[in-house]
Amino acid sequence: MMQTVARVLCALVVLGVSVAAAARPTIEELKSRKVLDDYEANVVYGYNIVTDTSRYAARYVGNRLQCSNCHLQAGTKPHAIPLDVEGLYPKWRSKNGVRNGLGLRIRECFLYSMNGIMPPEEAPEVQAVSAYIHYLSEGQVIGRLPPGARVPMVPETGEDPNPARGETVYHRICAACHGPDGHGTAAAPPLWGPESYNAGAGMNDVRKAAGFIWANMPVGNENSLSPQEALDVAAFLHLQIRPADPRDGRLRKLMERLVHRVSELFGATQ
Amino acid sequence: MTSLRRYLAGLSHEMTPDLSWVKTANVRSELVSGQVGALLVIPQAITFAYLAGVPPVYGLYCAVFVGFLASFLGNSAMVGGPNTAVSIMLSMSVMPYAGRGSPLYVEYVLALSLMVGLIQLVIWLLRGGEVFRYFSPAAITGIKTGVGVLLITSSLEGALGLGSVRTQFFYEKFYVVISGWGDLVNPCAAVISGVTVATGLVLKPFLRRTYVVFAVLAGCVIGAGIYLYAGPVASNLELLGHVTFHAFPFMIPNLTAQHLQFVEEVFPNAVAIAVLGLAQSLVIARDLEARTGPVNLHKEVFAQGASNALAPFCSTFAGSGSFNRTSIALEMGALTPLSGIVAAVAVVVIAWGLGPLLTYVPMPAIAGILAIVGIGMIQRREIVPLLRNRVDGTVFVLTLAAVSFLGLEAGLLVAVLSSVAFFVAGVSKVQLLISEEDGAEHIHVKGNLFYASFDRLARHLRRSPAAHTVLDLSHVPFCDSAASDMIESVQKLRARHGGRLDVRPSSSPREAPTNAGSTEGRT
Repeated sequence: MMQTVARVLCALVVLGVSVAAAARPTIEELKSRKVLDDYEANVVYGYNIVTDTSRYAARYVGNRLQCSNCHLQAGTKPHAIPLDVEGLYPKWRSKNGVRNGLGLRIRECFLYSMNGIMPPEEAPEVQAVSAYIHYLSEGQVIGRLPPGARVPMVPETGEDPNPARGETVYHRICAACHGPDGHGTAAAPPLWGPESYNAGAGMNDVRKAAGFIWANMPVGNENSLSPQEALDVAAFLHLQIRPADPRDGRLRKLMERLVHRVSELFGATQ
Repeated sequence: MTSLRRYLAGLSHEMTPDLSWVKTANVRSELVSGQVGALLVIPQAITFAYLAGVPPVYGLYCAVFVGFLASFLGNSAMVGGPNTAVSIMLSMSVMPYAGRGSPLYVEYVLALSLMVGLIQLVIWLLRGGEVFRYFSPAAITGIKTGVGVLLITSSLEGALGLGSVRTQFFYEKFYVVISGWGDLVNPCAAVISGVTVATGLVLKPFLRRTYVVFAVLAGCVIGAGIYLYAGPVASNLELLGHVTFHAFPFMIPNLTAQHLQFVEEVFPNAVAIAVLGLAQSLVIARDLEARTGPVNLHKEVFAQGASNALAPFCSTFAGSGSFNRTSIALEMGALTPLSGIVAAVAVVVIAWGLGPLLTYVPMPAIAGILAIVGIGMIQRREIVPLLRNRVDGTVFVLTLAAVSFLGLEAGLLVAVLSSVAFFVAGVSKVQLLISEEDGAEHIHVKGNLFYASFDRLARHLRRSPAAHTVLDLSHVPFCDSAASDMIESVQKLRARHGGRLDVRPSSSPREAPTNAGSTEGRT
């Protein structure tokens, strides 16, 4: 009898210890700790970058957005591009046609979504965000898409997205926080204009933007827009003026255009 | 009592800024050199902040505030501010206690910097600057040449876009670069740094003061062309990035019990950093003495200590004198602290006025400047005369090898040790000229007689206790008590065996064995 009790107790203790070891400390716990090791300190630093990008990663940021404007709740909200995706990297992406490590993925966020410059792979900002993503990804299965990853696919509506309808929806619902000119207010980030993401960003993809809007907007009243309304607003946003896609060299485009024009002229005279 | 008063008067003299240069300075050349120095320090400051593991803007604060204070309180054309070795040692000391770049890490770096400054002030009070007089000119040239080699090798990563290639010794990096040229090197970066270095080296003989500016501009123009043509992804160029700068980042560093415990634990590191920073600064100051006139080393120690102790209050980290920026300043014609002050102020102006443009300065152009400076620090006309002299040549080669293979810290140590070793070897050389006159042996001694050098003389004198010897000490500038005791004991020995030892006293009466006459009388 005593032996059984002892065994059960032992098992409980082992279980308790393993649960305690697996429980990941929250960011607040980490922040209140007196001494952090290198990894934990980088996690906190990465959290700070994600929630206050323009302050903690100012060197590489080119607009007024924060990472957490799209990765809502510091990258923990499902269906709002959560950041617990370390297990999916490295992977091939059609965006750049190469195998992407997590570092390259983070660097590209700075280039496109933050409309900034690409930090080097070994920049401390990139290392810190990597550490934070690793922290969020603890317990995930490598290679398996975690539940609530990315943004949901908007169901097929059988109708094309209509930017004109999207404009009315925008002014009826979105403009209250994002401003009638889309340049943002204290409550919400800019959606277009010089201080927003550039044309190379994932959010400039109508389908992804529609999924994000459908699942997460307006804040506090999510899923209140119909799929068609979400698509319409996304199409409206897509048409607005924003910084150009930095992938194409501007000088090269200009020269290509010049060469094209010159060859056309010669073609016309012949 | 008077010595204490003199000491205190010296301290107060060293604490007050010496502004005598106001009248003598050639304002125009100092302005030019200060502005070029500011252009040069901005990328370095950002790199060194990166090395120290703190936000880039802290490097700029270091260039502005530490640079300004070091020049304002100092009395030489030495340019202070962020420094490679100090930055690396700061990060090495703090790394085990906090995550690189985290807020706690930054607070620790500031606390450590305060400690470094205070230790340097203690060294100043103890007159530690005297130690650095033992750096011989050969050792200083060795350090400069070694730093040139280190600068060239450390510029390779940025210049060729290598990412991080870690090698143990500098020549391995050349091997890695050459053998892995196709895979490792970013051609866009190589073109930009190549253009920068080539422009600098071609223009240097014609534009002695401004060639660096044109080299940077050439690199930036080529870089902008490549960046705009190929785009940021294809060119994969590393750019300087946004520089945010607050004019008055003054604050009171966070010093809780936790910080003090940390400082206590890394105290040995703090001492090492303090000594290393001072060693670099004072080697530069010694070098400047030969070029621009006398430099009060103690005043420089105070300037370094005070600027580092005040650094955390300007939210920045410790620095020291900079070899490369000082040598650039000298080439541009700087002779007084004015150029350092101008450089510090110009950093503020440039960071504000050119901030948006600075963002797109390509790092390979900046690395190219470092390479040019490194090449400029290897001066054949300084090295060749040293190699002709056996002692100077040995000290030079030893120091150069230590700096390039083991790093600046070890190099400074080897420089002091080898300088002192050869100095001691030279001092303890004693020449004995032995001749026979009237049946008595005459020994004419040349050199210093002290505990380490009289061994041969003592053995010679004890060999024949019954002989009559005249010991001529008139060419002995220094004779310590051990040597006098030895002579006295030999005299007693001879007296017992019927011999005799007459001493002609040393030219310096204080140190000579004055009892020689009385012993003679007793025999």
